[in-house]
Amino acid sequence: MNEVQTDTTREQIHPRPDYGRVFLTFARNSLVRDMTFRSNFIIETISSLSWMFMNLGFYLLIFSYTNVIGVATGWTQYQFFVFFATVAIVNSLVQTFFMPNAQEFSEMIRTGNLDFALLKPIDTQFLISLQKVNWSGLGNTGFALLLLVFSLGKLYSEQAGFRIYPIQMILYPFYIVCGITILYSLMIALSATSVWLGRNQSLYNFWFYITNFSRYPMEIYGGPSGDARRWIGQSLKSFFSYCIPVLLAVNVPARLLAKPLDPNNLSLALYAVFGTVVSFSVSRMFFYRALRSYRSTGS
Amino acid sequence: MQSSLLGSRSLNSYNRAMETICIEGLRKTYRIYRKREGLKASIKGLFRREYRTVEAVRGIDLSVDQGEFVAFLGPNGAGKTTTLKLLSGVISPTSGTARVLGHIPWRRENAYRRRFALVMGQKNQLWWDLPAQESFRLHQQIYRIDPHDFATRRDELVDLLEVRQLLGQPVRELSLGERMKMELIAALLHSPEVLFLDEPTIGLDVVAQHNIQNFLRYYQQLKKISILLTSHYMKDVVALCNRVVIVAQGVIIHDGSLAGIVDRFSGHKVITLQFADHNLPHDLEKYGEIIEEQPPRIKLRVEKQNVTSSLGAILQRHPIEDVSVEDLPLEQVIAEMFSIARQGHPHELETSSTSDS
Repeated sequence: MNEVQTDTTREQIHPRPDYGRVFLTFARNSLVRDMTFRSNFIIETISSLSWMFMNLGFYLLIFSYTNVIGVATGWTQYQFFVFFATVAIVNSLVQTFFMPNAQEFSEMIRTGNLDFALLKPIDTQFLISLQKVNWSGLGNTGFALLLLVFSLGKLYSEQAGFRIYPIQMILYPFYIVCGITILYSLMIALSATSVWLGRNQSLYNFWFYITNFSRYPMEIYGGPSGDARRWIGQSLKSFFSYCIPVLLAVNVPARLLAKPLDPNNLSLALYAVFGTVVSFSVSRMFFYRALRSYRSTGS
Repeated sequence: MQSSLLGSRSLNSYNRAMETICIEGLRKTYRIYRKREGLKASIKGLFRREYRTVEAVRGIDLSVDQGEFVAFLGPNGAGKTTTLKLLSGVISPTSGTARVLGHIPWRRENAYRRRFALVMGQKNQLWWDLPAQESFRLHQQIYRIDPHDFATRRDELVDLLEVRQLLGQPVRELSLGERMKMELIAALLHSPEVLFLDEPTIGLDVVAQHNIQNFLRYYQQLKKISILLTSHYMKDVVALCNRVVIVAQGVIIHDGSLAGIVDRFSGHKVITLQFADHNLPHDLEKYGEIIEEQPPRIKLRVEKQNVTSSLGAILQRHPIEDVSVEDLPLEQVIAEMFSIARQGHPHELETSSTSDS
């Protein structure tokens, strides 16, 4: 009883950090740093934008041969561009907020600089995951938003009966956040493995291979009906939807706008929420497990 | 031969409330992959790994009271830094307990983390590309320091360390000494009650070392905080700490005053003789080992109990112009202790230490 009381008084003297303000300072400090290295910032912005343009060009090329991907899947050019824009939004936000940190995390484990992060009276996962913001990634987000609006406009004017309801406008950003959380959770868990794997090694790069699967509409994994090889796609689809739910990260928000009437949407949307909560909790457990095994370095 | 400081400490230890750090039987062992030389061996290592257990800390007991400034001395790899890392909760021990300010460090509770700081001379925690003041502001928010207190403390520290004009410069443009000062400010902004310093003066020039020493001494006396310092520089230790804990091979081999080390571990004194002319007598070796010969001066290393008799005999037989008797230099005594420990007999020293206290 007594102990509890002293603890609460201590909490009153030293309140919890204001996480919002700390994050703003991280973001501000990163911006100051990015502005110091101006040319680097500009080059990074341009190179990631051009990567997006190249991809867009590639898909335009494909749609010059066909007007829909897969028979009766509903992914016509502008529906697919809504999907593509969603891929870009999710990826660029992950790139902006989490990628530099996850990369740095493996490095901190290797060099022993994690020591300082462990001393701070603040949630360590928050500190590690958000302390740097890579502002140049937002160029892609901006362009992707333009593409999204443009494609939706095209669908609205060219496709009979295409409507956007307010509920979709609310759910879309919500599922974007879910998607980002799923991808982030996988990323931080993979980079935490360097605690056990040691020097220079982590499964961080594996993230890029796995998330490759999230970049395409899930119908692709269905395969044409009656094909003997369908089981390959089906098992990939199930694995990346239910075990490691990266496939839901983009598909759920994109379908919500591009194919709102698809009968599978409801179950996918529900599972996506569940998948997000589970992914994040598992990654958090994994993260703290890793910190307990942290050995620091020699000096 | 108990030093006065040890005595006063045992008096204090009646008062448990004064105790800031309490360590009992702390051990930390690492399993390290033993890599053999050459490509063939490396490939073999892919399939069958040999591990070796390294005992970084092998059972340390220590008690530090509030307001003490304790030095941790020891050769490289003695376990000093590991101990500091255990006490700051960076790593967890293999066995044993430790309490700092009543907290178990490796639980990493925020309530504990607000009350101490760790400064490492070899690593930096400030944002490399930004001016130090930006990192200070971040600290203010993470520790949620009251803005008024923050400004007062920052200004006080900045003035004490004379770095005001450097606050706006990116950290990467600062010299090592200037950066260390900024690191210290960052560590002290939240007014920690316990401060761990891991080689804070490493790589600094004499002036910078001196500045940091002065600052630490002043600050410690002002705030009465407990400080645990590791250093390779005897000057740091002599200037700052009246209690010295010597660690070798993961165990404590001495805990007491600096002067106590010389008394305890050195059985010799140095006699310097200055003769009237350059013809030195040849029979001096029977009194002790000649450690330096620069006619007309000569330095002899003589066993303590023989100092008076030898000196009497020499003075009687030879024309001596000047004479002095000194302790062996501290560095030398400690170097000898370390080399004994390194040869794998730390228990020799350890037993002598336990018999002492």
